[in-house]
Amino acid sequence: MKTMNTTLRCSLALVALAAFCPMLALAQAPPRFYWKSLAGANAVPVIYQDISGNSNPLDPAHVVSPEANIDAEVVTVGVAKMLPLFDRTATIALLETMGRMSSTIEAGGKTASESARGYGDPMLEFGINLVGPSAIMGIPDMMRYEPKFSLDLIADVFFPVGEYDSERALNIGQNRWYGRVGAPVVWQLGAWVPGQRTTLETVPSLWLFDDNTDYLGETLSTDPMFQLESHLTRDLAVTHWASLDATWMTGGASTVGDGEEGDATDTLGLGFTLGYQVNDNLAFTFGYMSTVNDSDPGDLQMDGFRVSLTYGWHKVIEGSKRLSEGH
Amino acid sequence: MNKTLSLVRRCLLMAAVAAMVSPGAAGAANPEAGSKGRRPNIIILLGDDLGFSDMGAFGGEIKTPNLDALAADGVRFTQFYTHASCSPTRSMLLSGVDTHRNGLGNMSEWTAPNQMGKPGYEGNLSRSVATLPQLLKDSGYHTYMVGKWHMGKAPDLIPAARGFERDFSLLDGAGSYWDMLNFTANTPVSLYTEDGRYLTKLPKNYYATETYTDKMISFIEANRGDGKPFFAYVAHQAPHDPYHLPRGERNGYVGQYDKGWDAVRAERLQRQKEMGIMPKDATLAERMWFVPDPTLLAPAASAMLGRKMELYAGMVENMDRHIGRLVNYLKKIGEYENTIFITFGDNGAEGTDLFEMIAGTPGTKNYLYASIAWSQNHINSWGDPHSYVGYGPMWAQVSMTPFSQYKGYFAEGGIRNALIVSGPIVKRAKGSINTAGYAHVADIMPTLLEVAGARYPETINGAKAPPLIGKSWVNMLAGKEDTPRSSKDYTAWEVFGNRAVRQGDWKIRWQYKPYGTETWELFNLAQDVAEHHDLAATQPEKVKELVALWDEYAKENNVILPNRVMAEGMVRKMPERFPVEAGFPPLMTSKQFVPPADMMADPKP
Repeated sequence: MKTMNTTLRCSLALVALAAFCPMLALAQAPPRFYWKSLAGANAVPVIYQDISGNSNPLDPAHVVSPEANIDAEVVTVGVAKMLPLFDRTATIALLETMGRMSSTIEAGGKTASESARGYGDPMLEFGINLVGPSAIMGIPDMMRYEPKFSLDLIADVFFPVGEYDSERALNIGQNRWYGRVGAPVVWQLGAWVPGQRTTLETVPSLWLFDDNTDYLGETLSTDPMFQLESHLTRDLAVTHWASLDATWMTGGASTVGDGEEGDATDTLGLGFTLGYQVNDNLAFTFGYMSTVNDSDPGDLQMDGFRVSLTYGWHKVIEGSKRLSEGH
Repeated sequence: MNKTLSLVRRCLLMAAVAAMVSPGAAGAANPEAGSKGRRPNIIILLGDDLGFSDMGAFGGEIKTPNLDALAADGVRFTQFYTHASCSPTRSMLLSGVDTHRNGLGNMSEWTAPNQMGKPGYEGNLSRSVATLPQLLKDSGYHTYMVGKWHMGKAPDLIPAARGFERDFSLLDGAGSYWDMLNFTANTPVSLYTEDGRYLTKLPKNYYATETYTDKMISFIEANRGDGKPFFAYVAHQAPHDPYHLPRGERNGYVGQYDKGWDAVRAERLQRQKEMGIMPKDATLAERMWFVPDPTLLAPAASAMLGRKMELYAGMVENMDRHIGRLVNYLKKIGEYENTIFITFGDNGAEGTDLFEMIAGTPGTKNYLYASIAWSQNHINSWGDPHSYVGYGPMWAQVSMTPFSQYKGYFAEGGIRNALIVSGPIVKRAKGSINTAGYAHVADIMPTLLEVAGARYPETINGAKAPPLIGKSWVNMLAGKEDTPRSSKDYTAWEVFGNRAVRQGDWKIRWQYKPYGTETWELFNLAQDVAEHHDLAATQPEKVKELVALWDEYAKENNVILPNRVMAEGMVRKMPERFPVEAGFPPLMTSKQFVPPADMMADPKP
């Protein structure tokens, strides 16, 4: 029965790990996001990020302002749930970002500053596994879960209801519909044993943007953008893990009004994440990522620290805990 | 015994004649084989803790095509007896002498204070007995061994010193399949020998079952073509716990055992009846009183416990695969047809939690050692190095379907095992099942000596050789008789203070509580193979008759009942014993009552 407890703990850990935790701007999904959990599992992430750069970190189009220095402190909270759909694991998540940003632009010896605060555009994500283990319907399935090779399909939609001021270049909300479709892949490398797990995750995705018809009185249009995220993760111990993170973005040239089309981005970001399973329900991560091919003034320059806490639960497991604790 | 002895004497005589004619091959010629060609090769395939019903040929659902093929090519026996634990069985296999005379009167791990230093209780295969490999080697056989020895570690006790010309052997009773890790803080390293030298390390890419097979093939290959037959003792470690298994072979049975042990036992018994392994009226022994009703378990518990059986099944299948490699090699070199295969498990399946016994007490040295060396206990690491999984009493009972109890005890589940014999000495119908052949592991020595034309010595190291207790199977295998034992012959066993006697269809057993009653129990195996009904109270004369045989056996073999036993304190540690009856209590087993649909209604406002 000791082993049974260990497995239940593992199941709980996975519930918590599977919570949604987007890294704004440079990486949309954290390491281990596409691991699957028990159907009916819930997660609530709280993510704090401190980001600096020459672009609005909340705008995935990454319109670069070469002379700008933008600092953002934002928190994202949300809720995610795993559901079975056609015997596959489906995930539905709703997230809302809030916080403050300020920018300083130095040009021609003059300094201009701007700031924004409030709520950003909420995002709804739907994902479903296409290739890989069937939906995890009970603890036995959870015990037997190994991603091996998994392929998902995801769709993210951002709703243009965040705070927006058309007189400002810097906004929390983006005043347009946008989102992405992607095909996350998880490769399990070796044993699936807590303390020994290694995975390579890649998320190719295509971003699509509607026009912002009220961007400083003009129309902001952005071409589609391709993004490829990768995470090589490895357990350091049963409750500790680390990952090397990379993201590459290309495309997404923006045009304001009738002006010339801007430069398409071609940005590579590298970073790392450290994860710690605090207890059966709570997971903690700390991460850092920075653009690396950013020596030219027109390149996207951005880096950010991220701290996340994710609380996960499932009614069966919570009930078992109540019984075992004698409540 | 008289008939066997006369055959042995005749062989002796013939061997002596042959020796005079050809001094260089003393005792080498079997008269029959000599006239028709080479004497047969002999391979003993021993599964460690392999259960009676595990092989497909004995009703198991585990995929064992290679063992089944041997059964289809030979004959199966359903009344074959080993001892209740491993080294006693092995000692009788290789000496033909009763355990209390051959040094394994008790396992070395449990030698009682009053047995210490007494002849017959050395805890290893005594130097005062002749060994089968030595006698076969003397008669011109190559003698090879791979796998588990467990009958002594000192230089004069290892396989090379006991008659094996080539060997690759694990000297301990168990250990890791991946490396030299053993179980206790005091003996953390498993000892291995290769050709009589103690190994400092294991070969690259070592995995026990695979390496043993590779080594055996290499031994045979090295001397192939020199005209001499070989005796190969393939003493697989598998499927003894810990269930170490290559990663790619762990998932062949996923979910198959979630249905629980009762259901799997019922399925196995049904197949056994259809195959003729068990009589149509056979019933399952009762589930051990402390084993839960699997239908009451939560799915997670079923899956967790089922996983252990999945791994065990994988172990058996893996062993079968490697046995298949050996068989195919023999076919390839043209030796298969001239090879006798004798296949069986060394005792009942293991239902005792060995790991818990060793390392289950926090604060002990063994617990600390296990936390370092044996703590990979996540379900997904089961099978890896440093993991320890055994499947427990519930699945051991499955392996011993339909019998009661398991390894270590003297219900049929502890001592009765599946036996397959194939090869040129078998003249019975291929694929037949002999349900009448009352056979014993000690029979193998006289059988093979007769087959090889080898002789059993009258003296060993100047002392009179202890008597062989077995009966040759040669006539039985030739179809000239159904059983090597008459109604007067009997067999008796004792280890850990538990004991039993069987004569004809009758059996008495005395076992410590709670597995026994600490009185003699009496069973009629022809009518009650699962030992449901203790007839001691109604047939006291039969008990008396068999107890007299026990007394005779104990006296002849210098049985010293141990004054300290594994069972001490067990009554206090285990749940109180009550009968297990299906469906009781209804509180737990009754189903939801569903009213007639036309009487269902919503509440009135």
